[in-house]
Amino acid sequence: MATTVSGVFREELRDAILRSKVLVVGAGGIGCEILKNLVMSGFADIEIIDLDTIDVSNLNRQFLFQKKHVGKSKASVARETALTFNPDVKVVHYHDSITSSEFGLSFFKRFTVVLNALDNRAARNHVNRMCLAADVPLIESGTAGYEGQVELIKKGLSQCYECTPKAAQKTYPGCTIRNTPSEPIHCIVWAKHLFNQLFGEEDPDQDVSPDTADPEATDVAGEGALQTEHNDKGNIDRVSTRVWAQSCDYDPEKLFTKLFHDDIKYLLSMDNLWKKRRSPTPLNWRELPDGVAGCSKEINQPGLKDQQRWSISKCGSIFADSLKNLSQALKASQEKSLDNHLVWDKDDQHAMDFVAACANIRAHIFGIPQKSRFDIKSMAGNIIPAIATTNAIIAGMVVLHAFRVLENNLRACRSVYLRLKMNHRNQLLVPEKAVNPPNPQCYVCAPTPQAVLAVDTSNMTIKELEELVLKNRLNVIAPDVMIDGTGAVVISSEEGETEGNNDKKLEELGIRDGAILKVDDFQQNYSLTLFVVYREKPGPKDDSPSFLILADKNALKPKDEEEEEKASTSNGQNVTEISDTAKKRKNDSADLETEVANKKRKVEIDNNIDNDDICIIDNDNEHHNLPELKKSNPRKRKLSEDTDCLIVCDDHID
Amino acid sequence: MASPESKSPEQSEKNRKYDRQLRLWGDHGQATLEAAHVCLINATGLGTEILKSLVLPGIGAFTIVDGKKITVEDVEPNFFLEADSVGKSRAQVATEMLLELNPDVTGDYIDEEPEQILSNSPDFFNSFTVVVATALTEKTLVLLSKRLWELDIPLIVCRSIGFIAYMRIQIKEHTVVETHPDNETPDLRLDRPFDSLKKHLDSINLDEMGFKDHCHVPYLIILYKYLEKWILEHRTLPKLYKDKQQLRDMIKSGIRRDEHDSSNSEENFEEAMKAVNTCIRASEIPENIKNILNDDRCINLTAKSSSFWIIAKAVRDFVDNEGKGLLPLKGTLPDMTADTEKYITLQQIYYKQASADAEAVWRRTLQLLRQLGRPSDSILEKDVKLFCRHASNIHVEKGSCIADEYDSKVFDTNIIVQNLETPESMMIYYVMLRGMDKFQAEYNSYPGEFDDQVEPDIVKLKTCLTKLLSEWGCGPLAKDDYVHEFCRFGGAELHSVSAFLGGLAAQETIKLITNQYKPVHNTFIYDAVTSNSGTFFF
Repeated sequence: MATTVSGVFREELRDAILRSKVLVVGAGGIGCEILKNLVMSGFADIEIIDLDTIDVSNLNRQFLFQKKHVGKSKASVARETALTFNPDVKVVHYHDSITSSEFGLSFFKRFTVVLNALDNRAARNHVNRMCLAADVPLIESGTAGYEGQVELIKKGLSQCYECTPKAAQKTYPGCTIRNTPSEPIHCIVWAKHLFNQLFGEEDPDQDVSPDTADPEATDVAGEGALQTEHNDKGNIDRVSTRVWAQSCDYDPEKLFTKLFHDDIKYLLSMDNLWKKRRSPTPLNWRELPDGVAGCSKEINQPGLKDQQRWSISKCGSIFADSLKNLSQALKASQEKSLDNHLVWDKDDQHAMDFVAACANIRAHIFGIPQKSRFDIKSMAGNIIPAIATTNAIIAGMVVLHAFRVLENNLRACRSVYLRLKMNHRNQLLVPEKAVNPPNPQCYVCAPTPQAVLAVDTSNMTIKELEELVLKNRLNVIAPDVMIDGTGAVVISSEEGETEGNNDKKLEELGIRDGAILKVDDFQQNYSLTLFVVYREKPGPKDDSPSFLILADKNALKPKDEEEEEKASTSNGQNVTEISDTAKKRKNDSADLETEVANKKRKVEIDNNIDNDDICIIDNDNEHHNLPELKKSNPRKRKLSEDTDCLIVCDDHID
Repeated sequence: MASPESKSPEQSEKNRKYDRQLRLWGDHGQATLEAAHVCLINATGLGTEILKSLVLPGIGAFTIVDGKKITVEDVEPNFFLEADSVGKSRAQVATEMLLELNPDVTGDYIDEEPEQILSNSPDFFNSFTVVVATALTEKTLVLLSKRLWELDIPLIVCRSIGFIAYMRIQIKEHTVVETHPDNETPDLRLDRPFDSLKKHLDSINLDEMGFKDHCHVPYLIILYKYLEKWILEHRTLPKLYKDKQQLRDMIKSGIRRDEHDSSNSEENFEEAMKAVNTCIRASEIPENIKNILNDDRCINLTAKSSSFWIIAKAVRDFVDNEGKGLLPLKGTLPDMTADTEKYITLQQIYYKQASADAEAVWRRTLQLLRQLGRPSDSILEKDVKLFCRHASNIHVEKGSCIADEYDSKVFDTNIIVQNLETPESMMIYYVMLRGMDKFQAEYNSYPGEFDDQVEPDIVKLKTCLTKLLSEWGCGPLAKDDYVHEFCRFGGAELHSVSAFLGGLAAQETIKLITNQYKPVHNTFIYDAVTSNSGTFFF
């Protein structure tokens, strides 16, 4: 192949293409396009990996798949289809997770270049680290609706994926979800938790029953509700929701009555909660209202039949239907193995029906506007719109970047952003002026990676350190943790070695303010020095995160309001001006996705050194954005890099 | 877990397949897409890439016009042609392969050269929604461009040559109701409240409220109350930054404290302060919308006027009468902290007024249809409602005919002269492509197409360019680099460049079909070597 275009490709490039070995991570929307482009450009040795199977909602853009392939491995079908068009290419496929330990350093080192076509941040972080460790150039890409971007990640030359802090996942205080929801999203989160309680993996942090430890309820002593027996986690002691539901055979009336009548009555008894709020109204299974109450049934958007809101009685019947179907599905899967459970999936009809119905019933009870199933699906599934056209554009640019890498012309691999509409310079595609240099303070790609962990050391357990801080936030896979100085190993990647530490508080093992932790991940070939700083645990009503990860300690110093205002304003104006300084941060695909999915919400403006990651994509909005920047809510400003920007929406190719 | 008897509305397989794109253009956008018939001229690698990205999201039908037989060279950059299809009709094979991508799409082909069709059956193109063309000769391009300009059918011309991508959109006039602006300003009319709103707002007395009520008043009411006070003092709207700051301070002074918990302040007042900037402004018709309403096509409707202009005229009449100088009300409220009842009451007031406004525009539309002798069902009420909701963001795009660029009597070459003065301007590639056109017209091949002809072709291409540039009043090119590069390309197509442009052209086609989002205005050029791109209006 690619012999007659010899004129277009210089001979060196043609040879480099033939000799190269390429890894494509992901066989979704962008992955299919990339694979096609590679096969059509003369690449002869390609490997592709994807964990996922094909879903109907993929077919509008993932063109290597057809209806008959639904349910099959994406990587395998992508390979098969691509080979029918060019049987001479060697394509190896893996139906597996790229984070699996099979794909270690030596695996990555075999490739000339790695092309990411991923849909989630965890995998992106991992491939980023593997490519840095193996010193293999990585081309990272993402799309969201009409927007997208392509960038090169090369150790020492360019920013790595983690050089810019990514918006953390929005979390909601437990008592808002369980006791006092005030927005539709609170009800949707509750409904998803309920799904997991009933059918999914049970997570004690996802309790859906009233939370009697709500500090607001305990303000005034002698509350009737508090007399009830409850355990130290604030949950009334009783059998788990799952066991109870199974014992009554998922009877819709019984479940409905418990969830939407009895539990609500119980909440009402915590009368301190309702002094300033509209109190909830318990619902009766046999008397469900027909109208779409609480939200003006007349206000239906014309012409959008899929997007109409359901009446509560309709919600009730959908609740019953989906409950029946889901409980049968659970039963069927548990017949194979008792450990089996269902996984919530926005594209599964009954799972989605269940969440939409429950969220709307709860919203009705609390006088919160109801949403259509279509909208709830967007919010619950963090759905990023995805179309064939954008993926084609971005995948084309990914392979063009790969050519430059093979020509060893790395400095020409400037990040490129595809915009929804032209900017003030009439550009639809906006390239950076030069490759963005690495962030010297990056806790991943700096020569000696380090970071500050600000946490209440008397409160956090070793298990929480491992799960929440190291695995979830810092994205290590199998950490070993040692206290610097004493050499004590507090977490070991060897199973069972340090399990005894799990429930101990950090302080009990000597991790206090000033402690230094050495974190190692053998698989990622990654070491990090973590400086511990004491920070008081935020109150339960405070929605700030329970810990912070910072580039340096100075970021902890509070700044006054005025300064913040100035910082964000000038920042807004400067988005286009500051261009190739080391401080420059570009919008990463995750932020981009967030923006698209949450058009209505404003991106939080962060007041620390990294506050210029607003995004170039928006740079023609700077004029009219100015008032919006000023508008940004000071109450929500955190001095952390953990700016809790909205729900994380990484799911653009799913 | 599928169960056929489920009552959920979102159950059709089609909806599930298109779920991710419905979130961009909605059911109505999808419906227009499914009613569209796209014509592709020449199933080159680029052509099939474009069509692929239209078949996947589900256009109704396509027709491929291509008289060529498949050659070995065709197969290479074209994913949809296989080696064993050499010698077969390119239109036929491409049609068959593309149809496999989506069973909802129908497609057919005409195994003829576009030149033949243009001369033998000039009505052939009448029924297409959009025509997309690749690899056209200068002569055919000019004929096709003129024909489609007369028919008022959009034409998108694309080229992928070596590392260069080019796209030109020809539309006589394109009207967009849903432009999907990034920042929509709320339409609240606090400075000029309509009667029902004024009555409601005046019935509320903040001072007499208990704490619980006071902290659940929607911020819009707070804004109105303090704006009223401000205007009483100053006799005008707050305009300057310091005026608005004063207004904010006034609002701040109105915040009450909870007797039990002094730290608990009123969120709705904070929201009101923050909303001063976006919500306090004079209600008026934006300048660009005034221009549309004052356009001759709006004022003087004819029997052939499109729905857009008829509704625009109805809106114009509304503005002059019921609207008292303002557009129909949008009728939507931003989210705000409030108790449900107060919010819903307010929402209803806005909604009802917006309905009444849209109703008035609808009546006027019917009246205009009668005057024009058109059936009353030629415009639907829901389209009028949609128009009214987006009235402050509508857009009219006026284009130019491609054939004019080939007619030295009408072609304004200033844009070329000016842009060539800017270093690295993408305009140089426009010049190169035009030079290549000329070369092709004279020698019937691409420069550098045959390996043994590269050197002589360089000289010939240079001559073509010099002629062209002197016709346009430009000096000769400073460097020969571009000429060498284009001769090296030999007219060959690079798959990744075609894939890139295929996505982009399909995107523009979808914008034209759905009448949503503003299209590229009107020429796009991309250099895949540098990642630079440019947009020009010819």
